[in-house]
Amino acid sequence: MSYQAKGLQAWFFQRVTGVFMAFYMVYVLWFSLSTELFTYQIWLAWFSHPLMNMATALFFIQLVVHTWVGMRDIVLDYMPGDILRFITLTCISLFLMALSIGMLRILFSLSFNIL
Amino acid sequence: MNDFKKQIKKRPKNLNLLSVKFPMSAVMSVGHRAAGVLLFISIPYFIYVFQLSLSDETGFLQAKTELNSPLVKLFLLIFIWALAHHFLAGIRFLLLDLDIGIEKKWAQKTAVLVIASGFIIFLICSVVLFY
Repeated sequence: MSYQAKGLQAWFFQRVTGVFMAFYMVYVLWFSLSTELFTYQIWLAWFSHPLMNMATALFFIQLVVHTWVGMRDIVLDYMPGDILRFITLTCISLFLMALSIGMLRILFSLSFNIL
Repeated sequence: MNDFKKQIKKRPKNLNLLSVKFPMSAVMSVGHRAAGVLLFISIPYFIYVFQLSLSDETGFLQAKTELNSPLVKLFLLIFIWALAHHFLAGIRFLLLDLDIGIEKKWAQKTAVLVIASGFIIFLICSVVLFY
């Protein structure tokens, strides 16, 4: 991809990840509202199902990409000075990577269980 | 090149922010950004609750009681507003990309709709959470 198209790439990522996350959240909301009472068993079984486990991992990766593009836009718009920007963006990216590792650790620690 | 630099120096500056009028679409857009930052900041807390709830039976109950404490409920309420506003404003942006509601008149109306819907969801959830 050419340098000129980098902005288009970010714009495109923002939309694709947004749409995926929207569908995921609607599903989660629907499931939560249609479940009378959440017990630990139901909760665990839900996230131990391979599809839900995978979808949640995908959701989080998309969330991190979406957050990165969004926060980068905000920093580039409002933060003056190259050094300050560099430090802030580095901190945000490391923070997001750390969160991803933490989240994936939780999801991977659940053993797959189909009902 | 020197002419260009002089030109930049001559450029008028409008520093009176009160003279700038914000249309509703701008208010909504700023809200979209602010809500996004808020959602970003709250990610670690939700990872913490998520891992607590999946650790074991006691952890699950602990997470439940934690989410029921008044202070956390207040945070959840603000979070829900941010999520609702960000979600709806995002859908509005997606529709604008498809040239739907792109006319100035409609763009202002949908902006008001997004702000209003965000507050309505906020009110409904505050009733559900606190009563």
